[in-house]
Amino acid sequence: MASLSEMYDVGWEEMRDKLRKWREDNCRNSEQIVDVGEELISEHSSKLGDDIWIIYEQVMIAALDCSRDDLALTCLQELRKQFPDSHRVKRLTGMRLEALERYDDANKHYDAILQEDPTNTAARKRKISILRAQGKSTEAIRELNEYLEQFVGDQEAWHELSELYINEHDYGKAAFCLEELMMTNPHNHLYCEQYAEVKYTQGGMENLELARKYFAQALRLNNRNMRALFGLYMSASHIAASPKVSAKVKKDNIKYAAWAAAQINRAYKVSIEMSYLDSTFHCFYSFFFFIGY
Amino acid sequence: MHIQLTSQAYCKMLLHTAKYPHCAVNGLLVAEKTKEKKKDGHGGPVLCVDCVPLFHGTLALAPMLEVALTLIDSWCKENNYVIVGYYQANEQTQDSRPNQVAQKVAARISENFNEAVIVMVDSSRLTMSCFEPIVFIYDHVENKWKNREVTTDAFEDWNEAQTITSALLVGRSYENLIDFDNHLDDLRNDWTNPAINKSVLDLC
Repeated sequence: MASLSEMYDVGWEEMRDKLRKWREDNCRNSEQIVDVGEELISEHSSKLGDDIWIIYEQVMIAALDCSRDDLALTCLQELRKQFPDSHRVKRLTGMRLEALERYDDANKHYDAILQEDPTNTAARKRKISILRAQGKSTEAIRELNEYLEQFVGDQEAWHELSELYINEHDYGKAAFCLEELMMTNPHNHLYCEQYAEVKYTQGGMENLELARKYFAQALRLNNRNMRALFGLYMSASHIAASPKVSAKVKKDNIKYAAWAAAQINRAYKVSIEMSYLDSTFHCFYSFFFFIGY
Repeated sequence: MHIQLTSQAYCKMLLHTAKYPHCAVNGLLVAEKTKEKKKDGHGGPVLCVDCVPLFHGTLALAPMLEVALTLIDSWCKENNYVIVGYYQANEQTQDSRPNQVAQKVAARISENFNEAVIVMVDSSRLTMSCFEPIVFIYDHVENKWKNREVTTDAFEDWNEAQTITSALLVGRSYENLIDFDNHLDDLRNDWTNPAINKSVLDLC
């Protein structure tokens, strides 16, 4: 079978750089990582220098995702040889047990790490991931809350907690988590936009107005965030259509909705020029008339 | 309501599920709008000709779902389709029951099509060979969602559906499947999936 480098005419440096980009962006494209990483490791390991260790870790995790236990074990064994007492490698051993659904063994493993090092956040977070994998949302939420009391700056954890709350339809608490994230990351348009979505879902006039404000804020931070643009249109339209608002509020929101509509139109026009999306663009025109006001 | 899935509808549902194995996914099922009703009052089976993959990951937020429903509704009107059902694959592979999100969306669909169905994909049985149908079909009966037995009757042509889905899974076509989330990330991404539709046609 032709190698990737033969099929796509890429050199090993490009493959290594691709892996780095996926690491930095935290992409979960595991099949691609396995394809590229496996070839890089087997054919070009000597050229990679010290990069090889982080690549072993990345490929191992991707291999677990793809049920490639053979590859995962190979990577793990290399890492164990190189870093015999490392907690970071021990965590990978635990993840392999999780992938094999040997959750009790994995938990024992993480408990052993925590015995030696009670501040090991990675092991604690893996234990919480096990709860999520087992469908034990209530326990996962409880443990994550306890974790965050100690490690209040862990953004990944706050975001995970917001997701868990959304899945349980506890939008109030999800909003709280996103508020924490917005406070510490005021320039992150994604958190603003997600917060607005939660508020919109909660419903009610106050939440709808908050949603509109935060969709607008997300747009100020990134004017290409389509979800924020659509969200602004939807929330402003709903407010304008409500019988309970004053004439001024109605007028203002009609203005906001019209502005958003024009921006959405423009965005679609630009994308059409780059491709041929007649059907979706066409139906977008009718979209604007769905809320009569 | 007796529904039948075409190969295109079935395989796109499974491709969507396969593309995001670690996430919940959902989407809409569409059928061609027919005006004829047989004289004896019993229509033939409703043929779900296509599906539109919607979201992956967090399914329980309203605004983008509303946008999608409205846009897709317009697209349906232009193509003489009607939304007849909703599909979902849960994040937990061992749980394939319709949750609150599924029931809410199905209720919304029922406002326009009163025999809307929920199709739950059983991702625990997802295989490359697709040797058996892995969907559960739920009907709204007496205010509850009831599971009905799925046989090969639920498919326009099970052998064709099986062959095509298996071929596309093996060929990793799911990497190119576009859902509404992908469209919101980049408007050039076309949620009607013309390329995959063509692959399906080529394999028929």
